[in-house]
Amino acid sequence: MHQRRNLLIFLGMLFFTLLTVPTVTSHAADETFKVGMEAGYPPFNWTQNDASNGAVKIQGTSTYAGGYDVQMAKKVAKSLGKKLVIVKTEWDGLSPALTSGKIDAIIAGMSPTPQRRKAIDFTDTYYKSQLVVIVRKDGKFTNAKSLKDFKNAKLTGQLNTFHYTALDQIKGAIKEPAMKDFPSMRVALESGTIDGYVSEKPEGISVTNADPNVKMIELKGNNGFKTNPEDTDLAIGVRKGDADKLKIDHALAKISQSQRDDLMDQAVAQQPQSGNKQENWFIAIFQQYGGMLLRGTGVTLLISMVGTIVGFMIGLLIGILRTIPKTGSVLRRTCLKVVDWLLSVYIEVFRGTPMIVQAAVLYYGAAQAFGWNMDRLVAALLIVSINTGAYLAEIMRGGIMSVDDGQFEAAHALGMTHLQTMFKIILPQAIRNSLPAVTNEFVINIKDTSVLSIISVSELFFSGSTIAGQNFQFFHTYLVICLIYLVLTFTITRILRFVERKMDGPQNYNLMANQDQVTTPTAS
Amino acid sequence: MTNLLEVQHLEKSFGEHQVLKDINLQVEPGEVLSIIGSSGSGKSTLLRCINLLEQPTSGTINFHGDNILATKFDVATYRAKVGMVFQSFNLFNNLNVLQNCVVGQTTVLHRNVIAARKTALEQLAKVGMTPYVNAKPAQLSGGQMQRVGIARAVSMNPEILLFDEPTSALDPEMVDDVLDSMRALAHTGLTMILVTHEMAFARDISDHVVFMDLGVIAEEGTAEEIFSHPQEARTQEFLKRYLNRV
Repeated sequence: MHQRRNLLIFLGMLFFTLLTVPTVTSHAADETFKVGMEAGYPPFNWTQNDASNGAVKIQGTSTYAGGYDVQMAKKVAKSLGKKLVIVKTEWDGLSPALTSGKIDAIIAGMSPTPQRRKAIDFTDTYYKSQLVVIVRKDGKFTNAKSLKDFKNAKLTGQLNTFHYTALDQIKGAIKEPAMKDFPSMRVALESGTIDGYVSEKPEGISVTNADPNVKMIELKGNNGFKTNPEDTDLAIGVRKGDADKLKIDHALAKISQSQRDDLMDQAVAQQPQSGNKQENWFIAIFQQYGGMLLRGTGVTLLISMVGTIVGFMIGLLIGILRTIPKTGSVLRRTCLKVVDWLLSVYIEVFRGTPMIVQAAVLYYGAAQAFGWNMDRLVAALLIVSINTGAYLAEIMRGGIMSVDDGQFEAAHALGMTHLQTMFKIILPQAIRNSLPAVTNEFVINIKDTSVLSIISVSELFFSGSTIAGQNFQFFHTYLVICLIYLVLTFTITRILRFVERKMDGPQNYNLMANQDQVTTPTAS
Repeated sequence: MTNLLEVQHLEKSFGEHQVLKDINLQVEPGEVLSIIGSSGSGKSTLLRCINLLEQPTSGTINFHGDNILATKFDVATYRAKVGMVFQSFNLFNNLNVLQNCVVGQTTVLHRNVIAARKTALEQLAKVGMTPYVNAKPAQLSGGQMQRVGIARAVSMNPEILLFDEPTSALDPEMVDDVLDSMRALAHTGLTMILVTHEMAFARDISDHVVFMDLGVIAEEGTAEEIFSHPQEARTQEFLKRYLNRV
């Protein structure tokens, strides 16, 4: 695994340098305090569209982050004398983002577990919480008083949290697979695929405020979960050996318990509510989040289009290189074989690993291994291009080989070189023949850019998740997203079908009575 | 007498299998040479060796006295002077009839498009394909495609034209159109080497006939000598089989 990861990083770097002028900036010590959070875990942190209630702009977007964590981050940044920058990062991406230097601290409702302490350091506690179970108000477990009452309940918790491991304390409960974030669990609860999920009290208060259909079950004393203070305490994650750790501890010490309670009360009161005056949910979503959806659609379209076009060019180039006849001098043949082998490795590696893993390895790996801090969008474009290139390389090779040998021979017999034969005769046919496959790849790319949310690219799915996290209308929001994807893929398919027909030329030809009528445009 | 093309001690093997053994052949300018023989006798391989679609195993091929098998020989320029008409036509499917006859001229001979089109249209007129200049190969019949194949080759103004069984893939009623086009070309004095199973046609237009059997030249002579007075038993046997069938 480790070797493959290194190889991936190496190949990623190789193609990166080959293909683009790297728009990377070294992360020199500057006077900003970059804090990573999900911006989707109210009341600790959430995303909103304006700067009200002391929200802070999220880096690289036009949205703002608010919540308890943000207020804490502001206080800490102030005492450090640095400018606060909020970086919206997926939960699983927080730790790598910190160690690779993309952020300076994690303030995201994170508990300092021993496991996490192996990778990063934690400051003193900035909030102390308690585990609760969120259930449906009209469900079977709405009157549960102790852990025993959850017998046969289908329960889950967030992946990589102690919420999930705490489920083991409930005897007889059905432990469903862990989910990646709270919006997913709320959707699951709403749809009835789970009976409840384990959360912490602040999130519980928020969700019950926002959604009248759910209920928070607080379990007191011996009836409740046995938890480790290390788990229920929330602390700020910093890089190991960070000199600012002491300063942050100092700053936290100055914030009294009553101040903390006030901040939490404010956060719970200020968090986004689902209340919307518009009756029609469909129009409401577009009215409220139209801009975000449009930007998400734009980013998705940009990434998939650039990815497909660049990938097509990579594929074409590789297809040409791999079909050069291996004849001539020994040196020439050896060179061709080596190139062929390298290209096979590229194709196998990028076809044989998931794009989500490639994105994480390239984006976080580049930062960790080489200190390259590349733009998320650049990383996304790069990954989709390289990935598409690997698929299309084989498709183009097939397209070239599908042109019969007779046409190669006829072109050679006229005195054309291999390159002339390729460009005048073979490639036009190969490209035409592989166009349906390229269309397919384009459609796949439109949908698969959604996995790039791992590196926090604000494409359509990421926008959708953000909106759902704000309005708590999961089905409706995802239905809108679904519709947009469908419109995109349908339109692209039609356009490329039209291009195919254009390339085929007219179905019929006109008989010419004499030479004077001939007006056909000629080749070259 | 200066030979245009001279083949000496030519050998060709595919792995262990020797297809051509010690082939010697001379072609004079303006001569029409027919190569006959049963399937698998090596006729097509010999023709393909002449324009280097196959790399000969040993021997020499001289064109205007230059050895075309020498390492520094400019193969592309040579091939432009040696036209080829294929059994399966091998037209370029992405190009229409006119473009098929233009692309070689502009790409290899660097003629300008206007001149190339003029030449192509002249040659297409000679084979009776003017009405179809806008058609794609897939829209033509076999006989029409082969006539375009001939026009494409002749548009390059070759010094020699090679025909590799040009009528073998055609329906019988289309054969005559193609043979007529070839006959007209032979009358212009173009040097031609022809691999064919059309015995009557070969007898009619050939200056020189070579009979091949099992990779060697079994007998050669004028059309009259080979077809009317064959000396070798296997030549007699072959002709008997063919003439009975036709």
